[in-house]
Amino acid sequence: MSGPGQPIHDVSLLLSGANARLACGADIDELLEQAADGYAGQFTSHQQDCLYCQAALNEFGRVWAPVRSLAAEQVTMPAALKSAVASQIRKLVADVWYTLQLSDGGAIRIAARVVARIAREAARDVAGVRVAFGRSTHSRMAGLIERATLRHRHPNAAVGVLGRTAVVDLAIAVQYGDQVDAVARQVQRRAVAELRSKAGLRDVTVNVNVDDVIT
Amino acid sequence: MGSEVDDAYLVRRAQEGYVDAYADLVDRHGLLAYRVALRLLGNHQDAEDVAQEALVAAWQKLPGFKADSSFSTWLYRIVTRRALNRITRRRVTESLDLLGDVGDAGDGPDQQTERDLTVDAVTDAVTALPPPQRIAIVLRHFEGLPLAEIAGITGSSIPAVRSHLFRGRRTLSKTLAEWR
Repeated sequence: MSGPGQPIHDVSLLLSGANARLACGADIDELLEQAADGYAGQFTSHQQDCLYCQAALNEFGRVWAPVRSLAAEQVTMPAALKSAVASQIRKLVADVWYTLQLSDGGAIRIAARVVARIAREAARDVAGVRVAFGRSTHSRMAGLIERATLRHRHPNAAVGVLGRTAVVDLAIAVQYGDQVDAVARQVQRRAVAELRSKAGLRDVTVNVNVDDVIT
Repeated sequence: MGSEVDDAYLVRRAQEGYVDAYADLVDRHGLLAYRVALRLLGNHQDAEDVAQEALVAAWQKLPGFKADSSFSTWLYRIVTRRALNRITRRRVTESLDLLGDVGDAGDGPDQQTERDLTVDAVTDAVTALPPPQRIAIVLRHFEGLPLAEIAGITGSSIPAVRSHLFRGRRTLSKTLAEWR
């Protein structure tokens, strides 16, 4: 303990042993907390007149400066992290069907998430749409096809070949004040048109769920 | 675009199978996961691995996520648990390159070296703390979280968090005082 004499300036000495209080009675851990929180220079009324507290706070503040400076440092997310997470999640998502178009040149498969993405981007372009998310879903027909082909499917083959059909759900949040049903219909028209022109899908169903308004 | 809605909205959409909504949550909170892992583990490689594990695990656990805590609190919980697993599985004692490419272009070579040393010393001191103290110190003094939230994340009480903080601050201060 610092005893009744001079204030101790050595942090190791101050903190060694089970010392809980300075000679003035101040709680050492509370002073340490004050310094760690960045308030070593903001004295309470007691601290304004107490050399013990001032000396301790000064030392604690000095010792904690590098910690505070590291804590304030900007950390940037590694570039590969987001794509690594997205790729792992894609593997986990059960919805792995694709559309299939056959021609003399070979087969063209478009993954469900690509179909959903095209619909989402189309929705985002519509005036009044503030947020949009796309989800491709199995149609009843897709479910039937999937079950029918289950036994014959190659273990590595993707499930639910849908041919040139697609069912997409869109969740959108619209601008408050706009006519909600008109915006939704416009989203539907535009998504259908985009899926036809960009993915060559003939039979397209787009369900639009307006689930929020944003002011 | 997703920035116009709150986390709860994105969580609900992600729970309904809108994978892009979860991608937006990763955009918002991926850095949090990485930063906490970096401070707890002390090196970039482990931090990136743990952040990735945690973000994928959060997706898998999403159907069971109840809105009784915020998404970020919930993610903190998953990251700290994953980091804790890694700490106990193989005790990381060596400090690696924590600075990476975040150095200020304006620093001269001498300042850079001194900064490196300081960062290494603090990182070593933090990662030398016993896990419960380390988690409390990182969440309080690096993430700036209130005690109640730390207690929620770690599944303990506020007095327990305070006690870990007191001990962690003492140990850290002694180590850093000796280093200087």
